[in-house]
Amino acid sequence: MNNVTGNLLTDLYNYFVNNFAYLLSLFTDHLLMSIYGVLFAALVGIPIGIFIARYAKLSGVVITIANIIQTIPALAMLSILMLVMGLGTNTVILTVFLYALLPIIKNTYSGITGVDKNITDAGKSMGMTRNQVLRMIELPLALSVIIGGLRIALVVAIGIVAIGSFIGAPTLSDLIIRGTNATDGTVYILAGAIPIALIAIIIDFALRFLERKLDPTYNPDDKTPKAQTVND
Amino acid sequence: MRQMKKLLAVALVSLTVLSGCSLPGLSSSSSDGIAITSMTTTESQIVSQMSRLMIEHYSGGEIEPVMINNLGSSTIQHNALLSGDAQVSGVRYTGTELTGVLDKDAESDPEVALEQTQRAFDEEFDMKFYDSYGFDNTYAFMVTRETAEEYDLETTSDLAEYTDEFAVGVDTSWFNRPGDGYPAFQEAYGFAFDNIRAMQISLVYEALNTGSLDLALGYTTDGRIPAYDLVVLEDDLQFFPPYDASPFATHEIIEKYPEIDDALSRLVGTISTETMQDLNYRSDEEGIEPALVAEEFLEEHNYFEGEGE
Repeated sequence: MNNVTGNLLTDLYNYFVNNFAYLLSLFTDHLLMSIYGVLFAALVGIPIGIFIARYAKLSGVVITIANIIQTIPALAMLSILMLVMGLGTNTVILTVFLYALLPIIKNTYSGITGVDKNITDAGKSMGMTRNQVLRMIELPLALSVIIGGLRIALVVAIGIVAIGSFIGAPTLSDLIIRGTNATDGTVYILAGAIPIALIAIIIDFALRFLERKLDPTYNPDDKTPKAQTVND
Repeated sequence: MRQMKKLLAVALVSLTVLSGCSLPGLSSSSSDGIAITSMTTTESQIVSQMSRLMIEHYSGGEIEPVMINNLGSSTIQHNALLSGDAQVSGVRYTGTELTGVLDKDAESDPEVALEQTQRAFDEEFDMKFYDSYGFDNTYAFMVTRETAEEYDLETTSDLAEYTDEFAVGVDTSWFNRPGDGYPAFQEAYGFAFDNIRAMQISLVYEALNTGSLDLALGYTTDGRIPAYDLVVLEDDLQFFPPYDASPFATHEIIEKYPEIDDALSRLVGTISTETMQDLNYRSDEEGIEPALVAEEFLEEHNYFEGEGE
């Protein structure tokens, strides 16, 4: 029997040492499922975002649909998709995909529409085609906002993947579920919860850093926060 | 609008492709599409991991089954096999299957129960319910070693004299359950306890150990039985239905891959109830993950090479 009081840290340390390989495989599975889901969402979401930025009439409809998807509880979404796609990782990835769409589409859309009209006009007057304006002006200027969307999507994804344990996908919350079944499961619960939180924090930091690096209006010497200028 | 439709079509196609493919890097993606189901219990996970390792071992690493973990009940496991999401279940219990999936009456004779279950699965679902691993995870009354010696207790019938003395704790779901619950127990054994309370089953072992309870109804394979030196009283009237544990697979998969059949058959009769208690203890109390406990056990027994065939 574990000594419950006082030794929690020791127990946790022992647990990590004893089960390191297993934990690592759950960790990579958890991370990869989140990344795959967001990657597919980016492949679909960024083009949609660019598209609705160009055809503004569609933006309302598309963003409303993405918003509606977001309001469905993740557990309900998983169960519904499970009926169609069966158990396992792919269902979890699809769920992550659906939840990642909104932040990615929305950020792409507002990143591109937020580019200063004067700059795009300048591009056009230099004889750039529409695609050139997009490639050389709008996308580079919107990049940091788009990365911001990816960051939000990934952090959300890590939380959603955690629920995936209920449909048989190997995630870090396997440990949490085991902890809730054991008499004294604090160690297992922490052993599962700490790495999940860690992944989320690391991703958040890394992408936040990237976001700032890619923001052309960001000046490291200038400490005052600045927003990108929007003309209208 | 036309472009929207195109986009939608592309999205749909990519989703369909996604649902069928397995992605690189995920340990859960199996190239041969063989999956093993397992429930949330530690026991189920340990034994399922064993069947996974055995299949890997006997296919020379060519078949790498995927685990579908944490399924809530045996019915969900069964549905996963029916829908083709999985082909093997790590462990199935005769008692659960008879009254659950097969919807038959509970059967108290272990051999009859096993035979009935095997025949029903074979005929109705074309699936193979193997012979037992050797352990039986049923309900049983248990007491501490001191109580057993003091009152000279061996069988459940011995309790009849002490119904007013013992503080008894039983599983909440057992307390009111028809069929094999407390009401039926009173009828079968002809006595009732004066001081009985329904509680969360995982708490009864600790309560026995600390002396808050004198007698408790628990699961026979729980790791805390050897840890607290509890004595399991024999169910002399065979009241509790047997829950003999067996490997389980669809006929389709074991015909296609005879090595799976070989691997699972070798596990039959290798895990006694006492061994299972120890394995559960190792995982639940010593904090070793089920996958590692399974590997330890198999390596210790050299993957049961030289047996079977």
